[in-house]
Amino acid sequence: MVDMAQTSDEYMDGAKDKAPASRFSMARTKGSDLTARGEPMVWAMGGSLAFGLLMISGFLALIFWNGFTAFWPKPLEIVTTVSGRTIAGEPLRTESYHPGAEILAALEPSVRDAIIDNGGFADRTLYRIGNYDFYGNDFEWVSAYEVKSVATPKDLMLVERQEWGVFIGTLISMDADGQVSNRPTLDALNAAHERTRALREARIAIEKGPVGDINHEINELRLSIRRAEIKYGTDSPEMIAAQEHAASETVRLTKEFDKLSAQVLAARAAEQSVTVKVADIGGDARDFPLANFVLYYFANDLSLAAKVQIYLERWWEFLSAEPREANTEGGVWPAIFGTFVMTVVMALLVAPFGIMAALYLREYARQGRIVSLVRICVNNLAGVPSIVYGVFGLGFFAYVLGGSIDAMFYPEHLPAPTFGTGGLLWAALTLALLTVPVVIVATEEALASVPRSMREGSLACGASKWQTIRWIVLPRAMPGIMTGLILAMARGAGEVAPLMIVGVVKLAPELPIDAIFPFVHLERSFMHLGFHIYDVGFQSRNSEAGRSMVFVTALVLLALVLVLNTVSIIVRNRLKRRFAGDKF
Amino acid sequence: MAIAARKDELRPGAADAHYDPTVYHPVTSPQGTEISIRDFKLWYGSAQALYGVSMEIQKGMVTSLIGPSGCGKSTLLRSLNRMNDLIDNLTVSGDVRLSGQPIFGPQVDVIALRKRMGMVFQKPNPFPMTIAENVTYPLKVDGVTNKKLLAEACESALKGAALWEEVKDRLQESALGLSGGQQQRLCIARAIAGNPEVLLMDEPCSALDPIATMRIEQLIEELKSSYTIVIVTHNMQQAARVSDNTAFMYLGRLIEYGETKNVFTRPTSKRTEEYVTGRFG
Ligand SMILES: Nc1ncnc2c1ncn2[C@@H]1O[C@H](COP(=O)(O)OP(=O)(O)OP(=O)(O)O)[C@@H](O)[C@H]1O
Ligand SMILES: [Mg+2]
Repeated sequence: MVDMAQTSDEYMDGAKDKAPASRFSMARTKGSDLTARGEPMVWAMGGSLAFGLLMISGFLALIFWNGFTAFWPKPLEIVTTVSGRTIAGEPLRTESYHPGAEILAALEPSVRDAIIDNGGFADRTLYRIGNYDFYGNDFEWVSAYEVKSVATPKDLMLVERQEWGVFIGTLISMDADGQVSNRPTLDALNAAHERTRALREARIAIEKGPVGDINHEINELRLSIRRAEIKYGTDSPEMIAAQEHAASETVRLTKEFDKLSAQVLAARAAEQSVTVKVADIGGDARDFPLANFVLYYFANDLSLAAKVQIYLERWWEFLSAEPREANTEGGVWPAIFGTFVMTVVMALLVAPFGIMAALYLREYARQGRIVSLVRICVNNLAGVPSIVYGVFGLGFFAYVLGGSIDAMFYPEHLPAPTFGTGGLLWAALTLALLTVPVVIVATEEALASVPRSMREGSLACGASKWQTIRWIVLPRAMPGIMTGLILAMARGAGEVAPLMIVGVVKLAPELPIDAIFPFVHLERSFMHLGFHIYDVGFQSRNSEAGRSMVFVTALVLLALVLVLNTVSIIVRNRLKRRFAGDKF
Repeated sequence: MAIAARKDELRPGAADAHYDPTVYHPVTSPQGTEISIRDFKLWYGSAQALYGVSMEIQKGMVTSLIGPSGCGKSTLLRSLNRMNDLIDNLTVSGDVRLSGQPIFGPQVDVIALRKRMGMVFQKPNPFPMTIAENVTYPLKVDGVTNKKLLAEACESALKGAALWEEVKDRLQESALGLSGGQQQRLCIARAIAGNPEVLLMDEPCSALDPIATMRIEQLIEELKSSYTIVIVTHNMQQAARVSDNTAFMYLGRLIEYGETKNVFTRPTSKRTEEYVTGRFG
């Protein structure tokens, strides 16, 4: 192309016989130019890689930084403004902003001029002021020009409460069974706190354990009547017998229930016997049961060890506790568990389906136009928006399949659905459907890469096709199949959109695996980390409150996917090692 | 794959003016014929690879197939245990029999047929399993699970393949850790563990060094008393050393077949003479 012009010149000169020779020599001299050596392409390739890496590492750095610093206890400040107001809070971040015209107009001339000199920008800091029950607001912006003075008194206290979020203020007194002590020592407070928290946990254990069991039994009795009615007809002797049995049992259970209720009430009273009086920065003093405090500390009076301890305590609560305060506080344990169980169930479902489909496609089906068509369709399935899978999962799995299961096996529960609504099993099935193309493609590739000599060796020994596949081809293809499963699991664990339709909920009261027979409850709705991120970040009353939780939850989700993948990769490498040392 | 009477089949000599009709030197053995091949033709799709091969492979003898690359030696060998079944669009015609029973045909049990013939490939292909598992694979295929039986079969096959002394202490180690020559002998052990009647070897020494080759040749010598062996080789000295009978093939045709010493010292066909003396090939 480059030497076109010259060549055609030569043709025009009529030097046709000389053309080949000169073209040859030109090709030689052009051989080492920049495009020929491909250097711009190399730069472009390197640049693309660097750009990709930069974006990914930037994204990870953002999540890691925000996720890991979220729980670190920050100092508390008391800000006194020029207008004489005092604000106590945790400074979260500072930014420049453009104050509006009316705001500027209302300012002192000197301040206004300073802002205008600064190009119309002013600084402001976001404070977490907490005390939602006092102010009806958790966060407040304070502009730099408003600040008269900032103090960090040592007696300022931050409390994470069971309800109403954070409290920031000062401790006035503690009332333990009528014994009032003004400004109690931290040790006394801690001792009382530990005692009342233990009482509270015992009370919750009763409510969740025996009380829950009684409710479960009463429900079972009701269902047994209904079952008898469906099976033998209304007012049949069996139904009347069931009713009588239920009536006598209910009397017993009610008695037990009353006894437990009394216990719970007593426990609640004991737990509330210790109260503390605290006051916010404006002097508004109120009493709270100490048992309602989850965590408290004097933020400006902390040693490094104490900070580390608080940091770790918060992490532990986050990983092991249930959420509270509309998911913006507390932990994500149910979501971690739900994500884990769903991903594992999905992998268990997708593996046999995908592997068997790929085996048929690659090993048994006659390779031809139809198989190619099927292959193209399978590949294109990966491009269907995942929300469409969700709709399908709800419509087909939950309503059609689940509805039939309910009609057949759980008629006494109706009209309340058991399997006939979104749940863990249907969510896992939907995701299995979503990820099965990945497994099929990977398995097919793995099968194709098994050397022909292996199959021939086996067949020559008189093995049938199935024996060859079972003993030679599959083991050999296993690492590749595992790679496909790993990809499918990573994809499935991070998927949110279809789950919102087929079974994920904001708050699930029960875990999908527990001590109640049959222990694994795949029909239950469940919590999911991905959905939790969406819910906390975009659906809560205050997006600021969920901000740090979004990052921490994202971090946990990443970690969970990492753990699942690491386990599979270890398994895969074990398998691979068996085929290492393949030499000649 | 099916036996098909092809309309477009080439009559020997019809397309190739230089075609020599096959020269048969008398071949006999005390036990008689093991495999008889009559007018065997084979097509890969529409390309014909074998043009009417006819020969009698003698029982208890070593028969070598020689000829230039691409002449159809492997094709013929792999037809005997129907390894070619794996290939799509394959057509064959003619009559091939193993001890009088047909090899091709709809009613033939291919798996039973393959169990009667062990095969050794050009490149050693041990399975990614332990040495013992490799050797006893044919028994596993037959559903043998008795540990004692398996151990005995493993030992006798490894001894038969002259590998026992080298691997008896590492039977539970991966077979992939063996040297190339050991791997090939392991494959021979695997082939004889199923107790076949015929051993088919497709250039078994081509991936091995001279010393490993020598060991395999010795082994063939020893195995000859118990098995009928058909071996494909490119090495003229090897054919001369190990085989009783030799078949020379050229362009899908059998050119000359007879006792090895006759084929090598008094070849009748000019092509055979040129090939065995190394003037072409
Ligand atoms: N799977 C196949 N499909 C189509 N043609 C094939 C196939 N296998 C072999 N052939 C052709 O059949 C002819 C005979 O091949 P074959 O492998 O039998 O030769 P060979 O004598 O074993 O050669 P070599 O000594 O190189 O191994 C060749 O022309 C080859 O191209
Ligand atoms: Mg060959």
